[in-house]
Amino acid sequence: MDRIWDFSSVFASRELLLVGLGNTVKLGVTCLVIGLTAGLFVGAARYSRNRLVNWPASAFVEVFRNTPALVQIMWFFFAFPIISPFNIDAFTAAALALSLNATAFCAEIYRGGIQSIERGQWDAAKAIGMSYSQQMRRIILPQAITRMVPAFMNRAVELMKMTSLASVIAFGELMHQGKAIATYNFNPIETFTVVALIFFVLIYPLALGVLRFEARLGRSQ
Amino acid sequence: MGYEWDFAVVLRDSDLLLLGLVNTLKVTILALVFGVPLGLGAALLRLSSNRLVRGLVGFLIEFFRSTPPIVQLFWFFFALPLLTGIEISPFGASVLTFSIQSSAFFAEVFRGGIVSIERGQWDAAKAIGMTRNQTLARIILPQAVTRMIPAFLERVIELMKTTTLVATVSYADLLYQANNIAQSTFRPLEVYTVAAVMYFAVLFPTSLGVRRLERHLARSGATTAH
Repeated sequence: MDRIWDFSSVFASRELLLVGLGNTVKLGVTCLVIGLTAGLFVGAARYSRNRLVNWPASAFVEVFRNTPALVQIMWFFFAFPIISPFNIDAFTAAALALSLNATAFCAEIYRGGIQSIERGQWDAAKAIGMSYSQQMRRIILPQAITRMVPAFMNRAVELMKMTSLASVIAFGELMHQGKAIATYNFNPIETFTVVALIFFVLIYPLALGVLRFEARLGRSQ
Repeated sequence: MGYEWDFAVVLRDSDLLLLGLVNTLKVTILALVFGVPLGLGAALLRLSSNRLVRGLVGFLIEFFRSTPPIVQLFWFFFALPLLTGIEISPFGASVLTFSIQSSAFFAEVFRGGIVSIERGQWDAAKAIGMTRNQTLARIILPQAVTRMIPAFLERVIELMKTTTLVATVSYADLLYQANNIAQSTFRPLEVYTVAAVMYFAVLFPTSLGVRRLERHLARSGATTAH
């Protein structure tokens, strides 16, 4: 078919796309920060020997890792408001779902990283009189973090891709803006191509960073 | 909180949810059937000695790995029919998208497995007169496949989670059925909770199985590629 590609209508809507890009980044960064922070505590809880601590943490991690992110977003947007004490808009629902999702995955990364540190490091720290939290903060985490960086970057890649799911509940991120522009101008080919390219430009450097970092880590260890 | 849970309405429509689950599995399995061979092909092309082929296939793999699957699905569903003039059903678009999307990830699993096999194996096969294809089929792949299994199954789980996106183009998968039932019964809390539980019921045992297999393989010496 001879079809003339016409990107001018997409270009005319660039401000809508920019707003979408801003919202995508806002959602992604919010969830990443929360996931990285909360994940440490959930990961540590899973590592605990106390059943009352590690069982709920494990259940949380398994539930969020073994259900689709889109179902989580829909649940927080359509189902959760019924029992929630506060109002939930599209951003809050998406941020809640994806933050908890990121927390569960990050918790596993922390746990894996901490477990990869040899037992002797804990013993040595204990022998010089450190408490558990001192051992963790001063000895174990600083060593484990470097090993975890590629996995965290991978999570960031996955998370940035997942933010596009928020378009389903009409949060005005990039994909949602793209849908609106495509419907309004009848130009799905150009619009979705441009949206895909913007996502690629946003996410690929991160993916490339993972490879670079892994290669460096591989050389140094 | 004064909310009264009522799962009876969900039970009444449980056949619709089950049908949705079957459709979810159908898309997942078809995407695997097409995605795995396509992924193997892409991996081999990415390892090709031709620079142009290597670069082009590498770019395609990276592109499909680095863009959100929902954008790909919308492209194949809304844009491709306009470009080609061929009508495509939600089911067709879903299978097409997820075959290609998952093949990009499978390609990386295959590549990881293949490059993890020591150089000496290639040399030894060559020394006894095997061609590149023979070496690959008889020596390298059989060894690489065991190492790939955990990473491969991990991808299958991801794929099944990703297929929920087909609900957005009105293919009647589990999530789509849940949306409809939630709207007609005004019971979103129960319906979405049950849908989540159904996904969990399939995915959790699968993940446990993968982990057990991974430990088993690690013990038996066949280390994982990832």
